[in-house]
Amino acid sequence: MAVEVPMPRLSDTMEQGTVARWVKQEGDRVVAGDVIAEIDTDKATMELTAYEDGVLLKILVGEGESADLGTPIALIGAEDEEVPETAARGNGPAQTAPQEDQPGDAGAPEAGGGEPAPSEPGEPPAPEARSAVGDGLRASPIARRMAAEGGLDLRELAGKGSGPDGRIVKVDVERALGQEGGPGAAAVEPGTTERAASPGQPPSAEEEIIEATPMLRAVARRMSESKATVPHFYLDAEIDMGRALELREELNRALADDGEKISVNDLIVRAAALALVENPKFHRSWHDGTFVLHKSAHVGIAVALDDGLIVPVLRNVEQKSVREIARESRDLAERARAGKLKQTEIEGGTFTISNLGMYGIPSFSAVVNLPEPGILAVGAAVKRAVVRDDAVLIRPIMAVTLSVDHRATSGAEGARLLGSIQRLLEQPVLLLA
Amino acid sequence: MAEVTYREALRRALDEELDRDERVFLMGEEIGRFEGSYKVTAGLWAKYGPKRVRETPISEEGFVGAGIGAAMLGLRPVVEIMTINFILVAQDMVVNHAAKIRYMFGGKVGVPMVIRTPGGAGAQLTAQHSQSLEVWFAHVPGLKVVAPSNPRDAYGLLKTAIRDDDPVLFVENLVLYNVTGSIPEPDEDFTVPLGSAHVAREGTDLTIVAHSYTVRRALAVADRLAQSGFEAEVVDLRSLRPLDVDTVVESVRKTNRVLIAEEGWATFGVGAELAARIGRACFDDLDAPPERVGGAEVPMPYSKPLELAALVLEDKLEAAARSLLAECGLAGAGAGRD
Repeated sequence: MAVEVPMPRLSDTMEQGTVARWVKQEGDRVVAGDVIAEIDTDKATMELTAYEDGVLLKILVGEGESADLGTPIALIGAEDEEVPETAARGNGPAQTAPQEDQPGDAGAPEAGGGEPAPSEPGEPPAPEARSAVGDGLRASPIARRMAAEGGLDLRELAGKGSGPDGRIVKVDVERALGQEGGPGAAAVEPGTTERAASPGQPPSAEEEIIEATPMLRAVARRMSESKATVPHFYLDAEIDMGRALELREELNRALADDGEKISVNDLIVRAAALALVENPKFHRSWHDGTFVLHKSAHVGIAVALDDGLIVPVLRNVEQKSVREIARESRDLAERARAGKLKQTEIEGGTFTISNLGMYGIPSFSAVVNLPEPGILAVGAAVKRAVVRDDAVLIRPIMAVTLSVDHRATSGAEGARLLGSIQRLLEQPVLLLA
Repeated sequence: MAEVTYREALRRALDEELDRDERVFLMGEEIGRFEGSYKVTAGLWAKYGPKRVRETPISEEGFVGAGIGAAMLGLRPVVEIMTINFILVAQDMVVNHAAKIRYMFGGKVGVPMVIRTPGGAGAQLTAQHSQSLEVWFAHVPGLKVVAPSNPRDAYGLLKTAIRDDDPVLFVENLVLYNVTGSIPEPDEDFTVPLGSAHVAREGTDLTIVAHSYTVRRALAVADRLAQSGFEAEVVDLRSLRPLDVDTVVESVRKTNRVLIAEEGWATFGVGAELAARIGRACFDDLDAPPERVGGAEVPMPYSKPLELAALVLEDKLEAAARSLLAECGLAGAGAGRD
């Protein structure tokens, strides 16, 4: 008999989860304790482990789709076990709202909304637990698309849309997402006769309003979430980059014939990774009263796009040479600009480096990229007069600012991490060790 | 730039092409001494003589067929059919010969012919003389169909049509002939490509797609909607075949709502074709099903009040636009004009 895998409660406040990735595929053998999927909660991406041995018979909630807590998202059973025809999402516990106010738009056959499952006689039919076609919700296609992009559960608006028979339309989603006053006719409230001027409407020909791309909306949402929920603190350090720059020059001379090039950032990525592994009390994420300890450093590099921002992640950096880091980060950055990164390449980071040195910015502070514990903001290395052994020397100094999630770790741990990074960059031969 | 009527824009294009290419000649009823029923060929008989501006008997099937033969043998006939209603007696020539010859002769011979003819209604010409039949021809592979809405496009598209190596049905409109607009000074290089729609007005809330005279009505309706705060984008198709779906799709992706307006009957019409294309290309962009509006599905009445009721006038178009906006929760749109 197949066992349902319900959408688990992975954070205290989550009401539904989104399948970020299926680690196991249909037909794969699973052993209790295996990670079978990664679930995006309201806070972070979490791993879902299996509680049973068997075979992943059926995936009921696909990647990118959401389900309420308790809703079955997969079936695990014996090999060759037949998957019940009606084993579709929504047959599970009654977290899902009963289908109502949705005349004439029954779910697609595979939604299982019409008939009770034979395996569970007497269970009332429940609707599909996601906002997609076939779920019995009346919503226009653009409303569905915008809701999906904006992370809005359309069931909140079920039957209350402004369209015919309560169809949820674009303006309803715009209102729910707080985008009133955007382009289109978002500002009309029911009952008003004409569209009112709103703060978001351009007052004159000198202004223009454009839609944010899904990427920029995601950036906006994540940054707001971080600044609103993460208690940030900031630590500054000045790093003498003289020897690191010399090392880089030497490396580049040696690699010139191979057409390879090491950047300052590659050295910083390597230093950060080694420092993270050296400082496990820093290298951990806060998850609602628990710490996720990171054993390997996955370092994200913030890449500016034409109009956007993306953070591709280099994995297991402490195990990689500077050359490997250079090759991989160039490849990731190029594909980031070409829009060709895979989802797996932009997730799972444990730390981020944001470098505005090439713009000549001396120093700045960055917003923590959840659920990572910290982000290092790197400025330009500029020649400065420094006092050493009572002598004034001219040294290339790079100012860095470490932003830290104070829930994950403390000021002292942050200072230790920064100290490690400084030591590695000021004695850069250690980066090669 | 010169400010001229649609009629004059066509006349200039004919004049320039007759002058540019001696293979070009005109053929049709009363187009010589009488200068055409709608005076599009004014002055051309006097200037080019009866050999190149040929008058014909009332015999559409005969002179369209003669045009096809001339085109197959290397000339560039521009045949005038007095109104699109009379093309019906030459239908076999147009659909079974002009459209198919290039295919059936294995590409060895084509029919570089233009058939100019006005459609449209509104002058109490009653059922047999008040039709918009262009979609009948847009249905047929091998034909090209254009229907410009303004003097500039009429000027540029007629020159392109004459230079094209395949048969082009060039649909004018009775009510458009006196409409004025600017066209470039005589310029051999100015043309408007076939199969290229034009965004006649930019907007964000609704796309209205139209061709020929209906574009002008759509623009007027867009102005009315703007007074209520709704910005309609108006796409002028200009060509029905080839059909520039890309421009329409790009617009609908922006506005999420689309109304297709045509002067002819909507059933099996331009709106039907575009609704299918839009439904496929823009499915996830739509906030409501594509809407279409066309003439009343009756033979055009003679009675003036009934004729007005049957036409796609601005009020009817505006009501359809507001109804579509209302369907999308834009409560202020109302169901029609106050």
